[in-house]
Amino acid sequence: MVKIVIDGKDYEVPAGANLVDAAKNAAGNDIPVFCYHPKMEPVGMCRMCIVELGMEEIDRETKQPVLDDKGQPKVRWMPKLQTACTQKVTPGMHVRTATKLVEDARQNVIEFLLTSHPLDCPICDKGGECPLQNLTMAHGPGGSRMVFNDKLKLDKHVPLGDLIYLDEERCIQCARCVRFQDEIVGDDVLAFHERGRSLQIITNSDPGFDTYFSGNTTDICPVGALTTADFRFGARPWELTEVPSICPHDAAGSNISLSTRLDRDAGGKAVIKRVMPRQNEYVNEIWISDKTRFGHHFTRSEDRLLHPMLRRGDTLAPTTWKDVFARVAGDLKAAGSDVAVIAGGAITNEDLWELKQLAAGLGSERLGTWTPTYGGADLVAKVGVGKGTNLKDLGKGDAVLVIASDLEEEVPMWRLRLKQAQDRGAYLVVANARHTRLEDFATQKERNGKPVSGATIRYNVGEAAHVMHELKTRYPEIAEKLAGATNLVIVAGAEGLTLDGSKALMQAAANFLISSGHVGKANNGLMSPLPGANGMGLHYMGFTPENTQHIMANPPKVLIVAQAEPGEDDPTAAAWLSKVETVITLSLFPDKTTHYATYALPIQSFAERDGTFVNGERRVQRFYTAQGPMGEALPAWKIVAGMREALGQAKPKVSAAAVMLEISNKVPAFAGCTYKDLAKVEKQFPDVGGADLYYGGTAYDNKGGLGVQIATSADAGETPAVADVTLPAVPKAKDGELLLLPTTRLYNRSHVFKPSVLVHPRVLLPYVELNEADAHKLGVQPGDVVEIAFGDDTVRVRAGINGTPAGVAVLPRELADKATPFLPTSGTIKKVTEPVLA
Amino acid sequence: MNIIKGFATTFKHLLEEPVTLQYPEQMKPFNPRYKGRHHLRRYENGLEKCIGCSLCAAACPADAIWVEAAENTDEERYSPGERYAKTYEINMLRCIFCGYCEDACPTQAIELGHEHQLSFTDRRDAIFTKEMLIDTPVGKAEGTPRQVEPGVYTRSIPDMPDAK
Repeated sequence: MVKIVIDGKDYEVPAGANLVDAAKNAAGNDIPVFCYHPKMEPVGMCRMCIVELGMEEIDRETKQPVLDDKGQPKVRWMPKLQTACTQKVTPGMHVRTATKLVEDARQNVIEFLLTSHPLDCPICDKGGECPLQNLTMAHGPGGSRMVFNDKLKLDKHVPLGDLIYLDEERCIQCARCVRFQDEIVGDDVLAFHERGRSLQIITNSDPGFDTYFSGNTTDICPVGALTTADFRFGARPWELTEVPSICPHDAAGSNISLSTRLDRDAGGKAVIKRVMPRQNEYVNEIWISDKTRFGHHFTRSEDRLLHPMLRRGDTLAPTTWKDVFARVAGDLKAAGSDVAVIAGGAITNEDLWELKQLAAGLGSERLGTWTPTYGGADLVAKVGVGKGTNLKDLGKGDAVLVIASDLEEEVPMWRLRLKQAQDRGAYLVVANARHTRLEDFATQKERNGKPVSGATIRYNVGEAAHVMHELKTRYPEIAEKLAGATNLVIVAGAEGLTLDGSKALMQAAANFLISSGHVGKANNGLMSPLPGANGMGLHYMGFTPENTQHIMANPPKVLIVAQAEPGEDDPTAAAWLSKVETVITLSLFPDKTTHYATYALPIQSFAERDGTFVNGERRVQRFYTAQGPMGEALPAWKIVAGMREALGQAKPKVSAAAVMLEISNKVPAFAGCTYKDLAKVEKQFPDVGGADLYYGGTAYDNKGGLGVQIATSADAGETPAVADVTLPAVPKAKDGELLLLPTTRLYNRSHVFKPSVLVHPRVLLPYVELNEADAHKLGVQPGDVVEIAFGDDTVRVRAGINGTPAGVAVLPRELADKATPFLPTSGTIKKVTEPVLA
Repeated sequence: MNIIKGFATTFKHLLEEPVTLQYPEQMKPFNPRYKGRHHLRRYENGLEKCIGCSLCAAACPADAIWVEAAENTDEERYSPGERYAKTYEINMLRCIFCGYCEDACPTQAIELGHEHQLSFTDRRDAIFTKEMLIDTPVGKAEGTPRQVEPGVYTRSIPDMPDAK
């Protein structure tokens, strides 16, 4: 701590702190800024933060402060004003922030910035939460000396990509967006073009603004220059109601705020107008990915399943809930204990609990997860990242290993934070069978003028577990660096692996962590990009992928498919689903799974109800009701509770909170996770969302709760012993065939993403990526339509050539309108020669 | 004596013109600043002045105004600039005719007129929609929406000469 003097008062501030941050935190003195952002390096471009700065005079001989006649230290003031954002606090620093000189300077800066600002605040989406507007009111002059007609007239509607619009007139050239893309994301796709008054923001990527984080630039833009296409003229900020929520798409569990407003087009009901980040420094800081921001339209999609449906012959006919409960109870009673449940990753803990109770009441423990690809969730519960983990704390001396996962596409928030960990000095190792975006960072030696360290490992498809198991012998140098790191986090996915392979990889990774002592403490341990927002919740509630395999092999009499889409994901679904006598689906959309359903029951999406998710770092987080239900949809737990009542098992609980209360009492992992506990908040740095929007941007402060992280058994002092790894057979292609490698794309054609029409131009057409030699052998040129045959099924996609390993064809899931394999499968590819419709 | 005085006054007023107006056949001329029912104005060229900024709704102390905005295109233009009011409603039962909306409007699109005979038999009838509030285009001016040449109406707020 050092002592500094701000406006004549002494303050103790952390040594080396930025003066703007220090003044704000210690003195509550909000120095106005435009270009400075607490998450980025200062550049001192806007000159708004200028202050008078002085240092205590030190006698060169005695090294003591020189005192004036009053016995006070003599201060040498700098002859000119200084930018506070570029100053680090030093002992004896004196700052004046409220003198006439400073106030005049601030007024002049504002007047200068406004010389060409269009002042079209009434039609600007930022109007009402605009730093420039606020600071003009606080510090600006009452009028302008500039002639109105001399203002530059520039283009007001420049699409930087499909998602973000640039208003060239409004830009004040602070470079926050350019720096965000460069420093924080690492996708350097924005730049300054020209100089002086002609300076403009341009995008240098094709397609424009090609990044998964573009929406964040609109939050930190201190003016209305960058706005999203999604919220364009959607509402004025002061008319919106903010509802705390959690991103339902991936394992990061990003905290979001749903901005709702009544809408005539929706019959006068409240609808989500935009999704904004909500600060949680442990999870997503103040950022969210574009999928989180723009992927909310499914909640109001007209295609949703709106009424409880009952099979009558070949079609599903609407019926009443009462009828459904009575009939389902009859079917369940008839089936006895031959009942099973398959639940998807986006389902809440409350739903899972009711499902588990229902099955238990009938004497069944067959609870499966969908998709059954990711094993080792039990190991995440044992040696997962320790309680109190914050990826933001990883830095110099620490190490991260990402294996068998394309984090950019699977959990973009983790990829962003791990890339930043590498920026801070962490050693980043990326191991995969093919090139991924994160690998680009791992191979870099220097970034933005700072040295970074990393390494990459390439292995044959399916050999991830072998590499992890034999890391010390195969890659001794890398293994040594990882084992010797102060903190070590391993992110192990399941790309290119069978379920056995995934389990072996997780065990091997856990073994590595246990043997090097990187378990049971914060910022150390195992993470897995389990599909869906509640992959860990599935584990804690007893749902396993092994059970799913068993269910697929031995179809039960009654199968409840809860928010899972086996019909959409599994090419073999018809074979096993049709063997089930009664399929009950709890679905958001009518889909290929409801084809097999006797009952298709509409559930509410995350925006229509209360609930909780457990993210990949085992943080239990709560979301709140933002909008009214669609049709007759009910929360899944209420539907299951209705079935239980009809069976005479139990009376339904009155609310999701009551269900969670029961869970917290009955499931040890969820002890201390009542809704009240989950809603607790604490002060976080940096302060965002307050009156000083210019400081952190328009991310919202957290009023909905930071969540509670479940302790691992290693945290509780029970470190498991190193266990044997059974190395699985590596999936191989049959002779003359290719190995189809299923991968994940962030933007896909799943039912929950399709309604976000805005992002459609960014969703790739169904494709397969081939190795050059294989393509040559098959006579396939890039862009050719090929037919891929696997099992009894075929799919037609376009071919691309992109340096995949020889003998391997990358076939992303959820892009084609047909199910493609979700496990590595042998298949044949042949060029389609007859004319096809494009 | 007093009774004569009294009758004199009575006879004097008997000969005067009566002050009673035969309302509603007869009406007193309005003060020009009288605040009656609202109008949404148009420019001379027929484009709507309202840009859907919702500032009237923000200023309204009775929460009587509802605005929803949407984006103009040159193929389907309602107002100059990028933004227009897709929905504009005033609940006349809520309105207290204070005129704050007029003050808040950056384009002088909303003005309170002189109509004051507002009575309804149903609460729903009290909600005046944009179609009811907007003026008909003056003279030969074309209405909205309409197709315009690209690049002409780029600004929402009309150019204002500098106040000297």
